[in-house]
Amino acid sequence: MKPKVIIGVILIVGFTSLLMYNFGNSISAYVDFKTAEQLGNRNVHVVGAWDKAQPAAFSIATKTFSFYMTDEHGNSKRVIYAKPKPNNFDDAERLVVIGQLKNDVFYADEMLMKCPSKYNDASGAEFEKAEH
Amino acid sequence: MIGLLGKFAVGGAFLASVFSLIYYGLISFDSTKKRAESLANTLFIAKTVLITIASGLLIYLIATHQFQYFYVYNYTSLDLNFKYLISAFYGGQEGSFLLWTLFSGLIGIGLIRWTSETYRAPVMFIITMTQFFILSMILGLKLGDFTIGASPFRTLVEALPDAPFLQANPDFVPVDGKGLNDLLKSPWMMIHPPILFIGFSMMTVPYAFAMAALWKEKYQEWIKPALPWVLGANLALLTAIFLGAYWAYVTLSFGGYWAWDPVENASFVPWLFGVAGIHTMLIQRKHASASRSSIAFALLSYVAIVYETFLTRSGILGDASVHSFVDLGLYAQLVVFMIVMTGLGLVLYIYRSKQMPQSDSPSHWLNKDTWVFWGSMALFIGGLIIITGTSSPILGKLFQKNPTPPQISFYNDWTLPVAIIIAIMSVCAQFLWWKKLDATSFANAISMPLIITSFVTLLGVVLGDVRQISYILLLYSGVFAIVGNATILFGIAKKKTIMVGGTLTHVGFGLLIVGILYSSAYNSFLLDDQTKAYNAAVRRGEVKDEMGTPIIKEVTMIELKKDIPKVVNNEYLVSFKGYRKSDVNRPGEQLYSIQVSDLDGNPITRLEPTVFPMLQSSTATQINWSVDPDVFSGLLYDVYLYVAGSSVVESENAKAAKLATAQGEHAHGPDSHHLPFTIGQAYIIGKYEIKFIGFKPISPETDAEYPKNATVAVRIQMEFRNVDTNEKTVLNPLFAIVDVNGNKNMFTPIFGIDGFPASIQMVNLVPMSDQIEVHITGIEGEASEDEWVLLIAEKKPFVSIVWLGTFIIMAGFSVSIIRRWKEDKNRMEFTA
Repeated sequence: MKPKVIIGVILIVGFTSLLMYNFGNSISAYVDFKTAEQLGNRNVHVVGAWDKAQPAAFSIATKTFSFYMTDEHGNSKRVIYAKPKPNNFDDAERLVVIGQLKNDVFYADEMLMKCPSKYNDASGAEFEKAEH
Repeated sequence: MIGLLGKFAVGGAFLASVFSLIYYGLISFDSTKKRAESLANTLFIAKTVLITIASGLLIYLIATHQFQYFYVYNYTSLDLNFKYLISAFYGGQEGSFLLWTLFSGLIGIGLIRWTSETYRAPVMFIITMTQFFILSMILGLKLGDFTIGASPFRTLVEALPDAPFLQANPDFVPVDGKGLNDLLKSPWMMIHPPILFIGFSMMTVPYAFAMAALWKEKYQEWIKPALPWVLGANLALLTAIFLGAYWAYVTLSFGGYWAWDPVENASFVPWLFGVAGIHTMLIQRKHASASRSSIAFALLSYVAIVYETFLTRSGILGDASVHSFVDLGLYAQLVVFMIVMTGLGLVLYIYRSKQMPQSDSPSHWLNKDTWVFWGSMALFIGGLIIITGTSSPILGKLFQKNPTPPQISFYNDWTLPVAIIIAIMSVCAQFLWWKKLDATSFANAISMPLIITSFVTLLGVVLGDVRQISYILLLYSGVFAIVGNATILFGIAKKKTIMVGGTLTHVGFGLLIVGILYSSAYNSFLLDDQTKAYNAAVRRGEVKDEMGTPIIKEVTMIELKKDIPKVVNNEYLVSFKGYRKSDVNRPGEQLYSIQVSDLDGNPITRLEPTVFPMLQSSTATQINWSVDPDVFSGLLYDVYLYVAGSSVVESENAKAAKLATAQGEHAHGPDSHHLPFTIGQAYIIGKYEIKFIGFKPISPETDAEYPKNATVAVRIQMEFRNVDTNEKTVLNPLFAIVDVNGNKNMFTPIFGIDGFPASIQMVNLVPMSDQIEVHITGIEGEASEDEWVLLIAEKKPFVSIVWLGTFIIMAGFSVSIIRRWKEDKNRMEFTA
C-alpha cells in the first residue's frame, strides 16, 4: 500500500475514535436518583414525577424554584431549579430534570415537561423544554 | 365530502406517481420509447395538479373551520386570523409533507422543460421516486392493521377511534379546534416552513442529476444544469435557517439564535454538504477527476435531508428536541424511504466507482483545486460531527442503554477547529483560484491581508477582552477570512462584478464567525451589584436557602420594583415603568415597559417584553404562561430581555388558585390594610394601585385645616389609580404633631372624599426619612406589594454582525445563481 493511503487510514481512524470517545463522554443516560448520587458532579438526566404531597414554591429570596420529585423507583428528592417555575409544570405528568445530585438535593439546570395529550391519540409524548 | 375529495386527490396523485415512475424507469433503460416519455410527463403533471388541488382543499377546510377533520381540529381554532390559518396548513406533519411534495412537483415540471435529453428520464425517475415516498406519508390507506401514511383529510373518528366522546356520538363536530401552538403564531414562522421545503425540494435536483450521471455513465455534463439548483437549494436552506434562528431569538426564551437543537441541525447539515458539493462541482468544471466527490456530495446532501427528516419526524427525537414532530406511525415508512434513497445512491456509486474518472497525477500543494477540495472535506467533516451529535438517540446506544443528547459543548468544541480551518482555507483557495501563484508570489499576496488581520485581531482581543486561546485563533481566522476575501473581492468587482458571488459568501462567512464568537462567548447577564455580591457568596458556598440547603447556582435575574431603577453591570440603568394589558395579539397578554438608559439617564431604548397565557393549555383555574422576549438591536450589541416573573403573574396565579379552591365563590379579602410606604412605592389592592407620591408642605396660610398649636404638620399625596380604567384620584391625608397642654399628641384624621370608596389615615411618620405608615379602608382584596418584575437581561455583542454575515452570504449565493443560470442557459442555446 502507498504510504499516503496508510496515513489517510490512520488519520480517519484516529479522528473517528476521538470523535466517538468524546461523543460518548458528552452524552449521559436517563437515570434514577440513586445512580445520580453515585455519579456526583456529572450531569445526569433523571426522569420522574412531581411529588404533590410536598411543598413547591418559587423563592424570591434565592430566586429558585424548588419542589419534590419522585423517580421511577419511588425515591423522592428535593429539586432546586435556579429559574422560575417552568410553563406547563402543573400539567406535566412526567418530568426530566437535568443537573447534578449533591447535598441530597438535585440541582437542576434544565427541565423537560412531558404533558399528557388531551385524548388518547397518536400524539403521545410531547416533551416541552422549560422555557424560562 | 371535501375530505373525501382530498383523499381521492392524494390517492390519485400517488397512483399517478407510481405509473409515471414505471414509465420513466422504462425510458431510462430504453430511450427509444418516445411515446412512453410523453405519457410519463403527462402523468407527472397530472400528479402535481392533483397535489395542488389537495393543498387547495386542505386550505379550504382550514379556512372554513371544518373541525370534523382531525387536522383542522388539531391545529386551528376559530380565533385564528387568516395569516395563521395559512401557516396552520403546514403547521402539522401531514400538511408539511403535502407542501413539500407540492414544491418538488412544481420543480419537477420545470425539470421536464429544462433538462437535456441525455439525463431527462433518469432525473425525472428519481424526482418521481421521492414524490412517491412523500405522497405515501399522507396517503392514509388502510391495509389490514397497517395504515400507509397519515392523511391530512382524516376525520376525527378515523383519527381518534378510542375517544369516548366519539364512540358515543360519531357525528360529533367540535365547536372549536385546539388551536395553533402560540409559539408558532409569529410572522417568521409563517414563511420559515415554505422556504425550508423549497430548499429541501431543490436539493432533490442535484441528487437526481448525480444519479442520472451514474446511470447514464456521463459524469461531466450534469454539473452545469445542477449547479444553479444546488446554489438555489443552499440559498433557500440558509434563508430558512436564518428565519428559524431569528424566530428562536425573538420569540423563544432560550436566550439565543442557535441551540444545536436537532431540528436546527436538520437543515444545517444538508446545507454544509451542499456547500461542499458546490465547491467540488466548481473544480469539476475544469477537472473531470473531481466528479467522484461532486457526485458523492450531491447524493449526500439529499440523503442528509432524508435522514434528518427521519430523525425529526419519526418521534425518535421526542425526548431530545423542543420542536420535533411526534410519531404519527410513520416510523417504518420513513425507514424505508431513508434506506431506499441511501441504498440506491450507495450501490450505484460503488458499482460505477471503477469507471468514474480517476484523479491524475498528485498535484502541487499550491494547486487551487487541492485547496478547494480540502476545504470541501472540512465542510464535510463539520457536517459529520453535527450528524454524530444529532444521532444521539441511535449512536448513543453504543455507550448508554438510554442515551441523552450530547452536551452543547460537544458541538462547540468540535466545530470550532473545523471553522478555523475552513476560514483560513477560504482565503488561501481564493487567492489561488483567481491568480496563478508560486510560493513566493503567494506569500507576497497574503502578506498584506495577514498584517491587517493581525492588527484587527489584536484590537479585537484587547477591546473584547478575549482571553481563551481557541477564541483568539477563531477570531484571527474569521478576521482573516473577511480581510483576505475582501481584498480579492475588490479586485474582481473592478473587472467583472457578476463573478463576485463566491468571494462575497466567503466574506460573509468570516463575518459570521466573528459575530458568533462575540455574541455567544461574550454574552453577559446584566446584573446589579447586589445580585453580583450574592452570586459571589454563592460561589464561596455561603448561601443556604430556608431549609438549610446550600445554593450552588448563581442568580441570572434582576428584580426590579416599579419606577426604581437599578444600575446593572456598571453600564446601564434599567427601570421597570409598569405594564399594560392588551388583547390585540393574544388575549390576556401583558406588556411590560422596561426602560434602558445609560448611567447619566439618557435613554437608550424602551423594551416591551411580554407574558401571555398559553390558551391551548390554560384553564380558568390553572394558567400556563409563556413569554416573548424583546430585543434592542444595536450596531455593537443587542440587549435581550424577558420577564421571568412578575407581581401581575403572581396575583393572576393566586386568583386562579383561589378560584380553584373556592370553585366560583366570590373570594373576599380584608377591606382594611396597614401598610408601610416609601416615596414612590406602590401596592396593588383589588383593582387599585396605591402609590405614595410625596409630601406636601403646608402652612396655616395655605391650609384651612392646619391644626392650631401644631409643631409639625404635613400632608402626603397618595395616588389611587384604578387599574382597569386608569382613572386617578389623589388623596391628601394630614399628619400633625399637636401641642396639647405641653403634651405632644399625634393628630391623624381619617381622610376621604365624596364618591370615592376608600379612606386613608396616615398613622406614622419615621423622622428624618421618607417612610410613612398608612391605614387604608374601603378597598377589598389582598394588598400585594408594589409591582415588581423579575427580568433575565442579557447583553450580546455583535449579533448584528451575525445577521450581516448571513445576509452577505445570501447575496453571494444570489449573484452566483444568476451567473450559473445564465451560463447554463447559454449552453442550452448553444447546443440547440
